[in-house]
Amino acid sequence: MRTLVACALLAGCALTEPIPPERPLGPGEIASARQADNALELGKSTKADVKALLGEATALTFATGYEVWVYRERPDPKTQTPSLELVLLFEPAGILAKTRVR
Amino acid sequence: MALPYWTGMKLLAIFSLLVCLRTAFAADDAVVVTAVRDPVKKSYKKMIDGAALFEERKHLAPDAALRFKLIPRQADTRMEGVELEVAADSIAIPLKVAPDQTFTIERNRTALKENAQVMPNRKVGTMTWRADVRTPGLPPNVRRLGDLRLECAVGMKAGLISNYPAGFWGWLDGLIAQNESYCHRAAPRYLFFAERPIWSVTLVDGGRREVLPVDMLYGGASRDPDWQKDRHCDCSALFDRAYFVPLGDSSWPNDTRVEIEYMS
Repeated sequence: MRTLVACALLAGCALTEPIPPERPLGPGEIASARQADNALELGKSTKADVKALLGEATALTFATGYEVWVYRERPDPKTQTPSLELVLLFEPAGILAKTRVR
Repeated sequence: MALPYWTGMKLLAIFSLLVCLRTAFAADDAVVVTAVRDPVKKSYKKMIDGAALFEERKHLAPDAALRFKLIPRQADTRMEGVELEVAADSIAIPLKVAPDQTFTIERNRTALKENAQVMPNRKVGTMTWRADVRTPGLPPNVRRLGDLRLECAVGMKAGLISNYPAGFWGWLDGLIAQNESYCHRAAPRYLFFAERPIWSVTLVDGGRREVLPVDMLYGGASRDPDWQKDRHCDCSALFDRAYFVPLGDSSWPNDTRVEIEYMS
């Protein structure tokens, strides 16, 4: 009986796919766009606040002084669901003016 | 003897380049009226062909009229007081430019025969051109998808786009794309420009709404870390107003509203 149980456990281990170590989030990547959006404050959060909270963004700086920052959720290859993007607009003074999760 | 595929493609590209250069120099020869050295110019015949296509595809925007529009390519391009004319060997026809930098163009047999050029009094690289098709009665921040489909078709047919990617094969791809069938792709990279810097663009058809991904705004810059170095795109002065729309996605009817929210 013991032998059977040991065999079953070994077979189970052999069939279970090893979980790869989690890759750290790269520049512009976030774990959850909605959670990140909820943590920000329109009219108050600064670029430095956002960078400290979410890390480096893909930043587009325009001649008008406005900046658009883009963060994307890392795609999950298992679920195949499209990842969300969090887009932030900073006014020329560097304060968060608008956000959008898509 | 059959040539390998890529060798054949490269030979085709070189041949195309030679044909283009020859055409360009022939066109230069035809110009006698120039207010500035090395002006921006477009082929009059191609623009007339574009206008003919507009009439052919009028069902896309039954209530709209066709105008063409001059758009700045440089931040310091002065758009006030632009003068425009159709210039050929024996004639020069002035065109009236409206305060919004739009104009219309009429068919002229002599200008066509003499391979005329349409030229503003501005230097090459300072301006780009687009077709302007607007169904009346819409708010200023709303475009109609059928209008944009027709703008793309006319713009490609008229050869208005000045957008040459840096890579050799990218350049060849651009050459191939100079055809209005390009507009039927699901997501063609045909740039439209809003009146002011864009925050978001939303497609609305009845109860169906879809916000476009940020990849389709700002000339696709959010996926291109070198976007500020791209001096070939004719959107360089208006990156913050530039957007693509899914022109070839037939699930969106021509009456779809393209609602633009501005940054401020």
